[in-house]
Amino acid sequence: MMTRKVFAMLCALCLTLPGLASAANVKIGFINSITGPEAPIGENLTNGVTLALEDLKKKGISVELMKEDDTGKPQISMSAMEKLAGQGVAGVVGPYTSACANAVAKLSEKYKVPIIVPAAAKEEITRQGFKWVYRLNAPADVYASVLIDAALTLGKPKTVAFIYENTDFGTSTTKTAKAYVARKGIQVVADEPYSKGSPDYRSTLTKIKAKNPDLVFMVSYVADAILLMRQAREIGLQPQAFLGGGAGFTTVQFAKEKEISNNVLSCTQWTEDVSWPGARDFGKRYKAKFGKEPTYHAACAYEAMMIMAETAAKAGGDREKTRSGLKSGQWNGIMGEVKFVDYAGFTNQNNHTMLVQQTMNGTFETVYPAKFATKKAVYPFPKWK
Amino acid sequence: MTVFLQSLISGILIGGVYALIGIGLTIIFGVMRVINFAHGDIMMVGMYLTYNLFTLAGIDPFVSILITIPLMFLFGGLLQKLFINRVLNALPQNQILLTIGLGLIMSNTMMLIYTSDYKILTTSYSSSSINVFGISVSEPLAISFIITAVITLLLYWFLMKTDTGQAIRATAQDREAAQLMGINVKRMSIIAFGLGASLAGTAGALVSPTYYIFPQIGSTFTLKAFVITVLGGMGSVIGATLGGIIIGVAESLGAVYISSGWKDVVVFVLFLLVLLFKPAGLMGKSRM
Amino acid sequence: MAKIPKMSVTNNVGGSPVAAIVTILVLAGLFLFPRFVASPYALHIMILFFLSTIMGESWNILGGYTGQYSVGHAAYFGVGAYATMMLMQFRQIPPWYGVWGGMAAVVVVALVIGSICFRLRGPYFVLASIAVAEILRLTAMNLKELTNGAEGILATELPPFTIGGTVVTDFLTKVPFYYIGLVMALLTIVVTWGVQRSKLGYCFQAIREDQDAAHSLGISLTLYKNVALIISALLTSLAGSFYAIYIGFIDPPTVLALDISVQIVLICIVGGIGTIFGPVVGAMVLVPLSEALRSNLIARAIFATGLVSEESGVGNFLKENLAHAHALIYGILVVVVILFMPDGVLGFFRKLAARKAKS
Repeated sequence: MMTRKVFAMLCALCLTLPGLASAANVKIGFINSITGPEAPIGENLTNGVTLALEDLKKKGISVELMKEDDTGKPQISMSAMEKLAGQGVAGVVGPYTSACANAVAKLSEKYKVPIIVPAAAKEEITRQGFKWVYRLNAPADVYASVLIDAALTLGKPKTVAFIYENTDFGTSTTKTAKAYVARKGIQVVADEPYSKGSPDYRSTLTKIKAKNPDLVFMVSYVADAILLMRQAREIGLQPQAFLGGGAGFTTVQFAKEKEISNNVLSCTQWTEDVSWPGARDFGKRYKAKFGKEPTYHAACAYEAMMIMAETAAKAGGDREKTRSGLKSGQWNGIMGEVKFVDYAGFTNQNNHTMLVQQTMNGTFETVYPAKFATKKAVYPFPKWK
Repeated sequence: MTVFLQSLISGILIGGVYALIGIGLTIIFGVMRVINFAHGDIMMVGMYLTYNLFTLAGIDPFVSILITIPLMFLFGGLLQKLFINRVLNALPQNQILLTIGLGLIMSNTMMLIYTSDYKILTTSYSSSSINVFGISVSEPLAISFIITAVITLLLYWFLMKTDTGQAIRATAQDREAAQLMGINVKRMSIIAFGLGASLAGTAGALVSPTYYIFPQIGSTFTLKAFVITVLGGMGSVIGATLGGIIIGVAESLGAVYISSGWKDVVVFVLFLLVLLFKPAGLMGKSRM
Repeated sequence: MAKIPKMSVTNNVGGSPVAAIVTILVLAGLFLFPRFVASPYALHIMILFFLSTIMGESWNILGGYTGQYSVGHAAYFGVGAYATMMLMQFRQIPPWYGVWGGMAAVVVVALVIGSICFRLRGPYFVLASIAVAEILRLTAMNLKELTNGAEGILATELPPFTIGGTVVTDFLTKVPFYYIGLVMALLTIVVTWGVQRSKLGYCFQAIREDQDAAHSLGISLTLYKNVALIISALLTSLAGSFYAIYIGFIDPPTVLALDISVQIVLICIVGGIGTIFGPVVGAMVLVPLSEALRSNLIARAIFATGLVSEESGVGNFLKENLAHAHALIYGILVVVVILFMPDGVLGFFRKLAARKAKS
């Protein structure tokens, strides 16, 4: 009697253990800004994917990775997608920038290739009712709301100035932020888009300084983030808080510029301090292997690749089955609980919680929401020395 | 009022650096009548040189111009001897295209070596400023302005008082007559290009603590340099100096009173107006 | 003293029967190409080749024949691209009507640019042409309500092209684009040929050789320069519209930047300006070259010949970087052509042939 039960249990166990029967082999495409102005951030995505491939191997899933460099330009991203679609990939992870992801989403739908967007903010990407496009990270509206909410718990700001690059990423994040601050009764006193590659922001910052805003909300990639803060210090811009909308403000390169990065608040999709399973280990492992701390992009890319490869392996590399696997699946990993749902006009969007971190002495400390915070935020922004 | 003064001061300080780029271009044009489309890319080379000296040898950018000036001079002279010299008598269109080609080679070689990541130089004073009656004056910009002024004065003295300088001016005024007077015009061309290149490279060095460095940064500066030289008058050092400051101020005020996006349009519209109504520029042609 | 290159006033295609047969064979081959070659990649390369040919031929009319070296042709390319895309995305007007909108817009733009730039000569004309193209680019960046600014315009779906009630094509493959490109390229070549044989061409070339002499002969400089400009701009805007609907995405740096203007001039310079087939030769050299670099074909070829081993340091470097080097090769090509082949590849081979004929 007992042996039969044990035998049945053992059989059941064998059936549920994934991938033991045979090592699954899947072809996954990866579009990223490997070179170009966003390359420093793209590097994080590449490294995240590398770690994912290691972990997938341990689970018996062998991924044939087809890497494509889009250099941050949408047209190149699009031809990369066309190429991958023709090469029989089961699915694609990427691209990084909002502009590229938006352009590629359309093609993903056209060629019926499932895609997981790991870190692009532009809301429209998952607002077009596409069946084949899935996004892991929280979209731009959460960038804005989490930063503003954090500021409101720390103080009573009444006015905000926006300075942002006039690209997809900057414009869409600022648009949704402006709508949000209106709902919270904060007045917009300045709206200054700038062109990338024009490194003198002094005049624009002076204009903003004259309006004396309580909050300065910035959306930039790395180089501009550093220059903006440098020049803000030069001209003595002194708001209650500097709010950085992700991207450039969350990189190690930015944090290392201690004189100007200290006490800047930035929103992020992930930090090492969260209590999501494996998050802290991921941070440690990344640092050990690559010699620097990961940004949230690495975590996003890691999880996106894990989800895509596992789903594709289960579906035997079939695109339609992978797609339905993504739609119905549920995961709980270093990015917390992931489920692609339709809500508030979004399709196949993971309703992800974002966090706010503050640069303190060259490193990032999570300061909001309270349940993940490790340190108390410094507010208002101390006087420039 | 503070906003106006603040942006005026910033504009003048940046204008000083622009002036240096413009002077280099105007000397090259004055002596050889060559429109050097690779000027911004030469400046870019200077920026990378400065970056390397800083990150590899720890030499402060402002100090490193002592190394940058002679190295860039050699670089320019070499370019002239190997390439530009051969097209001195060709159609101006071919000259322009040759310099465009050289510029492409420079920027793309840098891209292969350093990738197109934006590089940022951080010195101890990169974000410092001095407070003068409520206006904050950027420390690195102020230092570059002073150095630019010194270099411009030295250059002016060189052109006016030394034999070689006067020979260069003679070549600029009338190449054939100068040759008849026994001046080695080929040598003058090499010196002129070398001078132009070292000025561009120096401008790059001066600006590197406050800008970011990437291989394609050259083209923005080339266009600006042209606007400055045309504004000041092709071939006039004083004109280029004035032109640089005017453009710096126009940009700065444009960013404040119109918008950051339109400020470059202001510069180009100014350019077209000058080309149409006073093509000889503020100081006229061929007078150095 | 500037040397003016000798260019013959009539460049006949050649009236011999051999030339006619070759032409027919080539045309037949081009038209039947998609029947035999299904690879979308091959079609893509051919489409790029047609695009480059159109861009080169259009510039040639103003630059090669009339001697007005515009390095701001991106202005017309961009106007065509933007007009077509804006009408399609914002007003749901299909691109085959939108193209005409682009052409109408470009005529206006060309006349304005002409009135500013044609007062200037030589290098000043070049600089002015660059400045106006840059102004247009910055305007497109800043007028966000009109052009979507730096975000660019993304085409959602091309409407199917119907005649009467039947669908001719729904643009799902590259084949319709291939034929559109082929027809446009042939159109520009025919226009160039027509211009060259006509009185128009004669006046253009007179202006190129010596403006003042032409003027003293009674040739109205303003009239002919502007006519050349308008023809050139119209064809360039066609190229821009085609590019926009083929690629499906445009933004100011893609269609209005200085790179485009320089590329257009390059196609002609490398091939041979002032000749009917110069731009075709230029396109034939530049397009495969840049694709071969991008797809690492050249790197693989180098490894195959054994010159450099794939594993070595140099080999690795080439593998990683040659793909990004196409602009560098362009630069080197320009320098080589200007220094050693100022009449372009076509001119160089013509001279060789002439020298052989003499000896």
